[in-house]
Amino acid sequence: MSAMIRIEGLTKKYRLGQEIITALDNVSLEIAVGEFLCILGTSGSGKTTMLHIMAGLERPTRGSVFIKDINLSKMKEKNMPIFRRKYMGFIFQSYHLIPSLTAIENVSLPLIFGGAATKERSKRARDMLVQVGLQDRLKNRPTEMSGGQQQRVSIARALINDPKIVFADEPTGNLDTKTSSEIMGILTKKVKASGTTLIMVTHDLEIASYADRVIRMVDGHIIEDKRRSVISEER
Amino acid sequence: MNNLDLLQLSGNSLWRRKVRTILTTLGVIIGTTSIVVMLSLGIGLNEMQRENMERWGSLTMIRVQQGMIFDAEGNPLKEGKQLNDEAVDELRSIDGVLAVSPVYNFGGEASYGRKRGGLNLIGLDASSMNQLEFTAEQGRLLEEGDRNVMVIGREVINNFRDEAFIRQMRKGMGMEGMMSQEEQDPGELLNQRISMTINARENKRIFGFTVVGILEGERTEHSYQAYIPIDDLKRMRDFGSNGNSRSSNMVIMEGVAHSRVSTASSKRSATQQNSDDYDYILVRTNNVEQSQKASQVIKDLGYNTWSMADQLEGIEKTSRTIQAILGGIGSITLLVAALGITNTMIMSIYERTREIGIMKVIGASFHDIYKMFLTEAGLIGFLGGIFGLCFSYIVSYIINRLSAGFMNQGMVGGEASSISVIPVWLTLFAVLFSILVGLLAGIYPAYRAVRLSPINAIRNE
Ligand SMILES: Nc1ncnc2c1ncn2[C@@H]1O[C@H](COP(=O)(O)OP(=O)(O)OP(=O)(O)O)[C@@H](O)[C@H]1O
Ligand SMILES: [Mg+2]
Repeated sequence: MSAMIRIEGLTKKYRLGQEIITALDNVSLEIAVGEFLCILGTSGSGKTTMLHIMAGLERPTRGSVFIKDINLSKMKEKNMPIFRRKYMGFIFQSYHLIPSLTAIENVSLPLIFGGAATKERSKRARDMLVQVGLQDRLKNRPTEMSGGQQQRVSIARALINDPKIVFADEPTGNLDTKTSSEIMGILTKKVKASGTTLIMVTHDLEIASYADRVIRMVDGHIIEDKRRSVISEER
Repeated sequence: MNNLDLLQLSGNSLWRRKVRTILTTLGVIIGTTSIVVMLSLGIGLNEMQRENMERWGSLTMIRVQQGMIFDAEGNPLKEGKQLNDEAVDELRSIDGVLAVSPVYNFGGEASYGRKRGGLNLIGLDASSMNQLEFTAEQGRLLEEGDRNVMVIGREVINNFRDEAFIRQMRKGMGMEGMMSQEEQDPGELLNQRISMTINARENKRIFGFTVVGILEGERTEHSYQAYIPIDDLKRMRDFGSNGNSRSSNMVIMEGVAHSRVSTASSKRSATQQNSDDYDYILVRTNNVEQSQKASQVIKDLGYNTWSMADQLEGIEKTSRTIQAILGGIGSITLLVAALGITNTMIMSIYERTREIGIMKVIGASFHDIYKMFLTEAGLIGFLGGIFGLCFSYIVSYIINRLSAGFMNQGMVGGEASSISVIPVWLTLFAVLFSILVGLLAGIYPAYRAVRLSPINAIRNE
């Protein structure tokens, strides 16, 4: 299996006044195409930071990120958004939908930025919302939906461009157990069907059990890296 | 991102903050209105001046005169070139000149039936009269080959009084009698005979003319004059001056030999020291611009000229300055409105940091973000421009109504022209300019939105 993402010697330091915080310390990792990777770890261990750097949202202090063969560090800041739009989808703990737009408009947004024709993108957005079970909420705004529904909209938005990689930062963090497993069911089904690589940060071991591979982080280091088979054995 | 989506997204975010959008737009409305109204006043003023000047002389006519040429400070430079037939030919060959007519001027006492009165005669080239901006209200203009005919202005008839009346006047009836005389119908003179008596030393001769046309226009420079073919006038002139200075048989000879007048006159001009020079030469051009150009060319040739177009140029220079000042005052208001737009946009970006960040994360390019905020600012400018324009029309209408009422009290009979005029170009200019102002005001906020880091937006959950 070829690598979808490869990170080499990634280090990220933040300066906070006089203090220098090392969020990531010389981390290397390879993620295969179609793999579902789960990142576990205590708060402040650098999970989000690593996710952001892999997605090109932040630049590392040292080290490099390759998406397939493309070196993100060499990419111009200007081209980053277009690259993300084409190859990546994002899901966040607090959904991050645009409050003034309806479900269907929110889902259409990546297509709008891509310059798609109005008719075509509305159809695609509608189809996608139907697939995540929101056929009755197409015209609702985020404030008119429950957390679970909003997260489904956000999943639809992440998948609308048929991305190669989906990044999810604690997507079930604000949801109850039942809704969480619903969301995970939808997401994993979609991702597996299209062979999309999924990288997910979570605190929830239950959620981690969906993953092909789990890594555990402490203080900017990866201290554990387990494949699914191994996880199953432990149980 | 296609344009429709762009407009929709931007319109949507403006609509979301209605009150603020309306207040900001109001600033632009006031700014646009003040610019448009100020400029419309300047334009109205300009047009009024132009109308006034056109009453007193055509803007396409140049008068080439005798006399000294003065420089800009009013110091005499030199004597203008002689106004003879060579000059006429020279003027005729200038670019943009439609027609040229030499002119003699001659005043005297005239009679019509039992009435008498002073009359100012202007002799011009009969064949070119129709090209010199004359229009006949009744009858016709002078034509080639005309002899002993006359075309007169509308007011000429009022010069004539009954002899009995004049005698009364002389006895001291005074002005009241004269004032009480009714306006006479100018058409009364058509096809009538007006004669002028010229006294030379021992001779007296009567020159008779048939009125063939009445000119259009009241209270213009034409309306008090009588126009006759130049050869006729020359004969009268020669008779007058020869009778006084020379033998009378010359006069008689000339009376017989009408046909040779022109050759005789050109011969004499060489010997008789300019006394045969024309009083002035009229030059007609196509339009004001050509008139101004031709006037300059004629000046450069060394002639002394006078034209309404030249006067207009000076006046227009002044009114352009006035317009610039008025426009400047209006612009200050719009500048303040522009600052308002910038301020609103910056606040809006501050509030929407998260939203902008999300858009960037999910694939909005720098260009998209830039365009979105510029469009918002431009939309405010556009709305302000459109409503400001509507508002301007209302204000302009009110100003014109008020000023019309005011002016009608002051002067009788003068049709009140608008003092606030909004031409089509100003309409377009106003809308485009307010859009431009909006866009300019949006540049900095849009730039800030582009610079905004997406991570801060999505990190602070
Ligand atoms: N912009 C920043 N400036 C300074 N320090 C930062 C910044 N962003 C993150 N950090 C620090 O980097 C470290 C790693 O943060 P990160 O958000 O990656 O943790 P995390 O593993 O995602 O934690 P959590 O589970 O709470 O989300 C933390 O100590 C955090 O305080
Ligand atoms: Mg985190």
